[in-house]
Amino acid sequence: MFTIYKHEIKEYWKSLLIWAICVGGMGAMCILLFSSMKETMSGMTESFASMGAFSDAFGMSQLSIATLAGFYATEIGTIHGLGGAMFAAVVSANILSKEEDGHTSEFLFSLPIRREKAVFAKWSAAVSHILLFNLLCVLLYLVAIVALGEEMDFHRYFLYHIMQLLMQMEVAGICFCISAFQKKNKLGLSLGVVLLLYAYDLMARVVPDLADYKLFSPFSYANAADLFSTGEIYLAGTVLGAAVLAAGVVVAHVIYGRKDLAV
Amino acid sequence: MKNVIEIDNLTKYYGKHRGVTDVSFQVAEGDIFGFLGPNGAGKSTTIRSMLGLIRFQKGSIRIFDKDIRTDKEAILSEVGYMPSETMFYPAMKVKEMIQMAAEVRGKDCRKEAEKLCQRLQVDVDKKISDLSLGNRKKVGIVCAMQHRPKLFVFDEPTSGLDPLMQSEFFKLIQEYVSEGATCMLSTHVLSEIKNYCQNAAIMKEGKLLCVDSVGNITRTNAKRVKLQREGRQESYLYKGDMNELVRDLAGYDIEDILIEEPALDEIFMHFYESESN
Repeated sequence: MFTIYKHEIKEYWKSLLIWAICVGGMGAMCILLFSSMKETMSGMTESFASMGAFSDAFGMSQLSIATLAGFYATEIGTIHGLGGAMFAAVVSANILSKEEDGHTSEFLFSLPIRREKAVFAKWSAAVSHILLFNLLCVLLYLVAIVALGEEMDFHRYFLYHIMQLLMQMEVAGICFCISAFQKKNKLGLSLGVVLLLYAYDLMARVVPDLADYKLFSPFSYANAADLFSTGEIYLAGTVLGAAVLAAGVVVAHVIYGRKDLAV
Repeated sequence: MKNVIEIDNLTKYYGKHRGVTDVSFQVAEGDIFGFLGPNGAGKSTTIRSMLGLIRFQKGSIRIFDKDIRTDKEAILSEVGYMPSETMFYPAMKVKEMIQMAAEVRGKDCRKEAEKLCQRLQVDVDKKISDLSLGNRKKVGIVCAMQHRPKLFVFDEPTSGLDPLMQSEFFKLIQEYVSEGATCMLSTHVLSEIKNYCQNAAIMKEGKLLCVDSVGNITRTNAKRVKLQREGRQESYLYKGDMNELVRDLAGYDIEDILIEEPALDEIFMHFYESESN
């Protein structure tokens, strides 16, 4: 099992580095730009907060974009939120289906390893990549924040990133489950699901009738503006998110363990 | 002699489409067992059911007296399998691939792998994506043999190999079998069946046509008759009383005649035609 885990870590390490440097790097650059933009944004805070649905969707009505926390929640919240979710989809969407798509399933599963163990090893590798991605990004952000020298509420900062981690794991669980059913790589489908969930969250923040149903999107409980402004976890969304994550992983194990493997 | 493989009434359907129906045969220990049939006959379905890659609806498969449905891991630890489509992870190097196969088995196969790579002339430093079909096949052979399993299952192993490597492959098989291993060989190359296999099974349209010794399968009274008369050449397969053939030929003004054993593929095709009739 460890052999397969090691193999999957090696297969995706380049993706990990590219995505972490791009997302983390972009976020760090944004943070470093804050001090030069602070004065400009102070004058525009009220304008940003009174842009109706646009302000609600991106949390600019909850926090002042002229503060580091508000700026972080608005800018880095979007970059890290969407970028992290997409990376989670990238590492989990094809991790099972690639064996059949690449015709390596006959080689791998004729080795003396239970299919469920192989699936668990692949899931563990995907989780490890997501953890490393977040670690690298958070380190880059922290370096930028320290270099900036501005004040930051680190309790809410780390709460946000923990919820982001859970959100990415849920996305990975959904994409992992999709991968178990597929005989061909369907990265586009998984990225589409991510974008759909993101768009759904935006709509749920703007459309009053959808407000009670925003919990169905994992972006609901990992929203930077909510977490930085209230410092509280959105419990319903978090519990549902954890349940969806668990269900996705369990279903993937069961389905892949029983299916006829295509050659 | 105990049986290494025992397949009883194996039935597998892919939805409504038949895979195999009521397939039963045994492979004895120490045998080089041939497995042949036309495309779509059900050979790969049978092999993949044996290895637990697909689930079957009815019947049973026992290997080393263990049920594949409940003891798959234990069975596969003593099986070396090479699929017909030998695909590996393209970004890996050959030596990494071979090492990975050994690691999953929890065995140190470096010595045996080195010996096999030398004999099969495998370049271990090349990337998988840079290999030709034949070279990929050789890597597949190394991965299947390096742990010295008790049972080899090869699906068209020599397609893509040059004649020298084909010969080397069969030498290796015979060496391992002489040390107690068993080999099941699925192939379209009839000369391989005739030259190396003791017993064979023939499948067609999901059913087993026959299981017998290769000698019995290829034994035939048929003769290929080639004659030249009245400036024309004729060739036909004759199966029947030889005295009657001689009497018939005596009636012709024959310029030249050759009566010989039929070619192997003729026996095979003849066998299929007689069974389907």
